[in-house]
Amino acid sequence: MNILLILAIFWPALAGLAIFLTPSLKENKKLRGQTVSVALGIELLLTIIMCFGKGTQMVLLNMTPTLRIEMNVDVIGCIFSVLMSAMWLLSSVFAREYMGHDDNERLYQVFYMCVLSALIGQCYAGSMVTLYVFYELMTLLSVPMVVHERTPQAVAAGIKYLVYSIFGAMLGLLGIFFFSNYLGTVTFVPGGVETAASAPSGLLLITFLVIIGFGTKAGMFPMHGWLPTAHPVAPAPASAVLSGVITKAGVLAVLRVIYYLVGADVLRGTWVQKGFMTLTLITVFMGSMLAYRETLLKKRLAYSTVSQVSYVLFGLACMVPAAFEGAILHVVAHSVIKDALFLCAGAIIHQTGKIYVRDLRGIGKEMPITTWCWTIASLGLIGIPPTGGFVSKWQLATGSLETGLAGFDVVGPIILIVSALLTAAYLLPVTINGFFPGSDYDYSTLTNKEGSKLMTVPMILLAAGVVLTGIFAQPLINVIMTAAASIL
Amino acid sequence: MLSLAVFLPIVCGLAMFACRGMTHRARQVLTEGVTLVTSLLVLFCLMNKRGVAYTPLYLLPKLPISFCIDGVGSVFAAIVAFLWPLATLYGFEYMEHEGGENHFFALYTMTYGVTLGIATAANVLTLYLFYEFLTLCTLPLVMHGTSKASVRAGYTYMMYSFFGAALAFVGVMLIIGFGDGGAFVMGGVMSEAAAEHPLMVQIGYLCAFLGFGVKAAVFPFHVWLPEASVAPTPVTALLHAVAVVKSGVFAIIRVTYFSFGAQVMRGTTAQAIALLLASATIVYGSTMAVKEHHFKRRLAYSTVSNLSYILLAACLMTQSGLTAALAHMLFHALIKITLFFCAGAVMVKTERTQIEDLRGLAKVMPFTCATYTIGAISLMGTPLLPGFVSKWLIGSAAIETGTTLGMIGVAALLISAVLTAIYLMGPAMSMYFRPLEGMEPTAKCDPGMRMKLPFAVLAAAIVLCGLFSDPIITLLAKLSAGVM
Repeated sequence: MNILLILAIFWPALAGLAIFLTPSLKENKKLRGQTVSVALGIELLLTIIMCFGKGTQMVLLNMTPTLRIEMNVDVIGCIFSVLMSAMWLLSSVFAREYMGHDDNERLYQVFYMCVLSALIGQCYAGSMVTLYVFYELMTLLSVPMVVHERTPQAVAAGIKYLVYSIFGAMLGLLGIFFFSNYLGTVTFVPGGVETAASAPSGLLLITFLVIIGFGTKAGMFPMHGWLPTAHPVAPAPASAVLSGVITKAGVLAVLRVIYYLVGADVLRGTWVQKGFMTLTLITVFMGSMLAYRETLLKKRLAYSTVSQVSYVLFGLACMVPAAFEGAILHVVAHSVIKDALFLCAGAIIHQTGKIYVRDLRGIGKEMPITTWCWTIASLGLIGIPPTGGFVSKWQLATGSLETGLAGFDVVGPIILIVSALLTAAYLLPVTINGFFPGSDYDYSTLTNKEGSKLMTVPMILLAAGVVLTGIFAQPLINVIMTAAASIL
Repeated sequence: MLSLAVFLPIVCGLAMFACRGMTHRARQVLTEGVTLVTSLLVLFCLMNKRGVAYTPLYLLPKLPISFCIDGVGSVFAAIVAFLWPLATLYGFEYMEHEGGENHFFALYTMTYGVTLGIATAANVLTLYLFYEFLTLCTLPLVMHGTSKASVRAGYTYMMYSFFGAALAFVGVMLIIGFGDGGAFVMGGVMSEAAAEHPLMVQIGYLCAFLGFGVKAAVFPFHVWLPEASVAPTPVTALLHAVAVVKSGVFAIIRVTYFSFGAQVMRGTTAQAIALLLASATIVYGSTMAVKEHHFKRRLAYSTVSNLSYILLAACLMTQSGLTAALAHMLFHALIKITLFFCAGAVMVKTERTQIEDLRGLAKVMPFTCATYTIGAISLMGTPLLPGFVSKWLIGSAAIETGTTLGMIGVAALLISAVLTAIYLMGPAMSMYFRPLEGMEPTAKCDPGMRMKLPFAVLAAAIVLCGLFSDPIITLLAKLSAGVM
């Protein structure tokens, strides 16, 4: 299993570099695209195989006597890694068409593949230091994806992304320094290494800072500023994984800190939990509100990410099993949905060149498949049964009622529901105006602008995923239950 | 053997002054030859002669000039011996644009010997003597350009250095007076004196710290360093990122651990002042680097900041602090010389000196820009590269002390890390992701082999140091524990 673990982590990067350097793939764009997809397919397979190797532990590298890169495969890591590689595969298929005429596509592919390696490494990280190492690498490697268009705005957005991320990571590193001092170890232990009685006083403050630090990647208020700038400037397939997947890297880091390092018992009922919950609720509402006001299609989706990822963080902040399940389910649901939405947006931009929501009147007549996928994904994000979004939000709301924190058990569900209404208000206009352009719409100029199969098939698969994660949620819930039982 | 390593470059440098009529080629062969032979000598001494003292000369019966290569000294000597031949090689091609090569390389070679003298000094007097020589040798190198700016920079450098030396002299006198001749002994020689005259010892330590701190560019004595970046790049790269400034740092490490003694100074007000100054310099240097738009000056401010990383670690006065200090001394030397080399290559090949002018340069100077990027991401502390390792060591050493000052230091470190990302990645991103202006994209501006070779060696060294940091750190930890 050890060799498979190493392979699962480094395969994408190695494959990416090999594809970049192989001379015969330099000129042949089509073959290159196919090779990338095949390589990512293998990666998906590898991560699925790793699900049967839970409990595999190994030390990859000793950096200093106290700084070890150690891996540990567990349930949470497996869920995240399979999800991430699946999203990566589908976006890469879409990218073959979307980036077909892009001169720098070859360079894009290398970084795209390397980022996945860093993400998978983060999933299987067995200690805080390891997680931090892969987290930083992932940040750095994903910058070229943001600045891919090479416009001044893109470069500025890239720098903003980098600075916010590094700042967040520095808070994380600060935490590691203190954790190793307070806790004596930074290796992940289910349920945390500390008991409430013996926790040193400075631990709470440091934990809060670390949550804000890693929350940066997840777009949590007050460190969300980079997200609406950086996600929309990237090419659509990159935005899809940036929003859908990479934000989850921040979620994973927060999850590990709370449940595998400090311990939920230490934090439950403290000001840290309340502060964290408040921040997430602010973000949920603020993100939806800003998305509602935004007129640029991709930027609207980016604000939506700000809001939705904080649903997940809210679930983690509740520190009860139901909310934890909801959080993990929402990680899955939101990844699938946001990937689908960004691919739809990308298809629309690529095929029609329209970037504002108000221009999308009649889009359902021009691009029916895309608009249907958009609609299904939107329903999922609003939380309408039988989609995955419904199951996860149900669990989140139930969980927040169980926290027993006066005030939060009422305000939490209310904000979640208000935000769901806003979600409907900012996503559905595309569907409504798209399918019902009104009587004054000029049908004579109507042409079918639907993209090729490379574009539509990933979208259809994702839209199917939105529904399937709702109908067949139970097996996933069972798996999450085992994880929740071990840490709560 | 050791004395030979110190005096060979000095004598050869002096000889080069005498024979002015040499051809370019002969001079280059001679210089590189002498430098390489010296480096081999140092290597030999590191392998075989560690811990053996040589005393070629007595100034006064009780004041010997003696050399000895011990654990801490061997780290500095190894850094210098590794980098000097590379920098000299780089200098050949670079200096063709500057002229005045004869006396430049004569002094450059002499400086090598002097720096080795500092690294291998066995007592505080020897250290001080070579420290003064270093100022004298490098002063003409700073003023090499003979323009108004370089003369002014040289003047500033001289004034600051002499002021620092005078201040340090107070500390040195104290050590020699109370410490029985001031031979370097791990753990210090001042414990009796400190028990009798605690205030005096603290003041003496501060004088030594601030005095030697001038070369280590501690705020508020850092002014000369950014000014001195008008010097030719081989000087700024090797001397103002490694040899001269690290001599200051090294001298502080020496007097802290080997004269005053970490045990004696730990917890005193003097230590607190030193730590606070180092923390302040870390943030100040990085902030100024962000504000600076001249490429080489920005790197110089970055050096100001990074030198204080080393001082911060060293002044924690614990064993892990010393390990961290030595690690960052090594890693920063490798990285910063690389960055300066790249800046110099850009300067001579395209005559661009401002950050704004770096846009799109990756198209015409791919090799240089790639090397710069490796250096930049290492220094900002990307995991798996050496900058991260030393930051990790410094941070954990500071937290380990459990003092407020340690925490202030960590805060400074992390703030500075963010600023480092800004001031180093900004140029890297505009090199790669902005369009090239004022130049044909087909132009090939990468420098020739003699510059590329040092680039390649250094970039490889940086990556290897990062990936295989464990044996290096283990070795440094042993050295600082005084085992070897």
